Amino acid sequence: MDALKKLEILADAAKYDVSCSSSGSERKSVKGALGNAALPGICHSFAEDGRCISLLKILYTNKCLYDCAYCINRASNPDMQRAEFTPDEVVDLTISFYRRNYIEGLFLSSGVVRSPDYTMEQLLAVVKRLRERERFNGYIHLKGIPGADPKLIEQAGLYVDRMSINIELPTTKSLRLLAPEKNRNEMIAPMQMIKERIVENKSSIVRYKHTPAFVPAGQSTQLIVGATDEVDYKIIKISEALYNRMSLKRVYYSAYVPVGKNAIVSMNHTDALKREHRIYQADWLLRFYGFTADEILTKADPNLDMEMDPKCQWAVRNPHLFPMEVNKVSLLELLRVPGIGNVTARRIMAARRFGPVGFDALVKMGVVMKRAKYFVTCNGKYFGDIDLEPRKLRTLLIEPPKKGANQLKLFDLYPNVFNSGGGHSGLSI
Amino acid sequence: MVYLFDGSFEGALSAVYEMFYAKANPEKDMMCIRTLYQYDIFDQVVECHTSSEYAGKVTASIIETFGEEAFRRIGYAYLSEDEQFGTKLFRALKRAYRLGGNGLENFSDEAIMTLYKCYNAVARESHRMIGFIRFAELDKGIYYSQFEPTYDLLALVVPHFVDRLGDQLWVLHDTKRRKAAFYNKTDVHFSDLDPVEALYYSSREAQYQKMWQAYFEHIAIDERKDKRRHIHMMPKKYWQFLTEKNTK
Ligand code: SF4
Repeated sequence: MDALKKLEILADAAKYDVSCSSSGSERKSVKGALGNAALPGICHSFAEDGRCISLLKILYTNKCLYDCAYCINRASNPDMQRAEFTPDEVVDLTISFYRRNYIEGLFLSSGVVRSPDYTMEQLLAVVKRLRERERFNGYIHLKGIPGADPKLIEQAGLYVDRMSINIELPTTKSLRLLAPEKNRNEMIAPMQMIKERIVENKSSIVRYKHTPAFVPAGQSTQLIVGATDEVDYKIIKISEALYNRMSLKRVYYSAYVPVGKNAIVSMNHTDALKREHRIYQADWLLRFYGFTADEILTKADPNLDMEMDPKCQWAVRNPHLFPMEVNKVSLLELLRVPGIGNVTARRIMAARRFGPVGFDALVKMGVVMKRAKYFVTCNGKYFGDIDLEPRKLRTLLIEPPKKGANQLKLFDLYPNVFNSGGGHSGLSI
Repeated sequence: MVYLFDGSFEGALSAVYEMFYAKANPEKDMMCIRTLYQYDIFDQVVECHTSSEYAGKVTASIIETFGEEAFRRIGYAYLSEDEQFGTKLFRALKRAYRLGGNGLENFSDEAIMTLYKCYNAVARESHRMIGFIRFAELDKGIYYSQFEPTYDLLALVVPHFVDRLGDQLWVLHDTKRRKAAFYNKTDVHFSDLDPVEALYYSSREAQYQKMWQAYFEHIAIDERKDKRRHIHMMPKKYWQFLTEKNTK
């Protein structure tokens, strides 16, 4: 089988993997060598599903010994065409694409072929050759193979920017149900190891200048949503714990897409995507807006409202905090106002130094007044024209269903990260 | 009053100097590029000369008052090739000097926001172009890229590629403005360059292009096809030079 055919099969097999962000690492170029990693992350193209293409995202192989029910590559899936790269084929593709500015780097994952250790060894060979033989300095994101010798995972950590071990399913129970060959500990243990090595490595970099960086862009993981019956509250709580206790950089969520026959859960596809979208918004609140999981949802009210974004939901539940005077409150408070994002909040703070900010100025600075007007006053003036009563608010804030509802704009509502240097920072997922 | 300048960055800064000196009115007075200006019998016209002394004074004052970053942004705004750049610059500066220090960050001010938008458009496209530029390997091992950005940002993207593709020979060619940057593994030089009529590719170039196109096609999830978003994120005006959008 030639490399082109393999590429087609192994790109197909990798496309359901959501994480493709190349940001978070600043790898300096080395004189006479190839590549660097840019901090804000760069999208090189956008696929026809609208997603950013930043990395060459492929599987090393889609042959797999395991039989995870949610996975297209599972051993029992009969309609799959299988392929396997060689390490040098992956190296050559990466370098050639990089030199043509098609990509930021490589995102390599794999099915489990022969054994977890054997698979991990192949992945290690790829990243080692890229860095040592080709002197490649671009971005590398590698998936750790669950069950592989931690030593191999640790070794690979010296060559990559980001490592991820997928949790896949939120609870041990659902894992037992859908991915019986995997066990929770095989995922948590390497995660813990990577976390500790990153910390250790950071302190030795301070002490000895030439210590090679270990997973400098940190680690991430992926959770499949909707294949089992966990509530949103549970998922957000897990993410919060992963951010706080495992110092993960990102948790990616993937709406379960029934693949092949014997779909396990028959959920309406649009609803699944909508839910994934809301969970991403909640995750965003955790990471950039200073919310805790228990503020976003509660045990008593454990699911996200599908018709309103999570920040609006929180605001509707907390009418006593509003309206806020935009000219008085702190940055953190501004960030809690529906319709005000990171960029606009910072603009408001900057403009406030020159005098009171009025309604028109808010519009010009990019505040979404449609939502914000119920929650703010400008110089004491209120424009919402209603009492802040939760039920009434909710009806006003509900997003009208978009035309062609299955064309959900998954990423439209993500606020851009404020970025001073090279313009906007394209959010890549 | 209409102040005419030659369209260069230095020229605009010189005209700013003259306008401040003449106490020009930010509400009414304009700065226009000489060759684009259409004479109107009711206009009073002032011819401004491009003077490195004046431009230097304005530059120093901007940097001293608002900082280097503010000056860099003004440079970006100039590259937007906005016909009204001169007027926008004068109006924003007029406002900002009254505010001092961080004056150019007072985004609730219309004049300042207007100039900022020019900067932002150029900064955004530069960031975009850094991703959308495509190189093809020519037969002599030179990586050649043709592109036609909306704004004049060739010089802005060059440092990125010097840093990233430091070990290969490359040419970045803005065929709309007929100029190019040449990199020889140590230095860059800029020069005028007309569109090249025939390009000779390396023997393996076609194969890699085909692989990239295949990758592009296969990485999209069919169930989630979203043409509108696709075009929104990667506008059609860029397609001409994107390898993946040019399958035969
Ligand atoms: S081990 Fe990975 S590739 Fe194999 S079936 Fe499970 S999820 Fe799929």
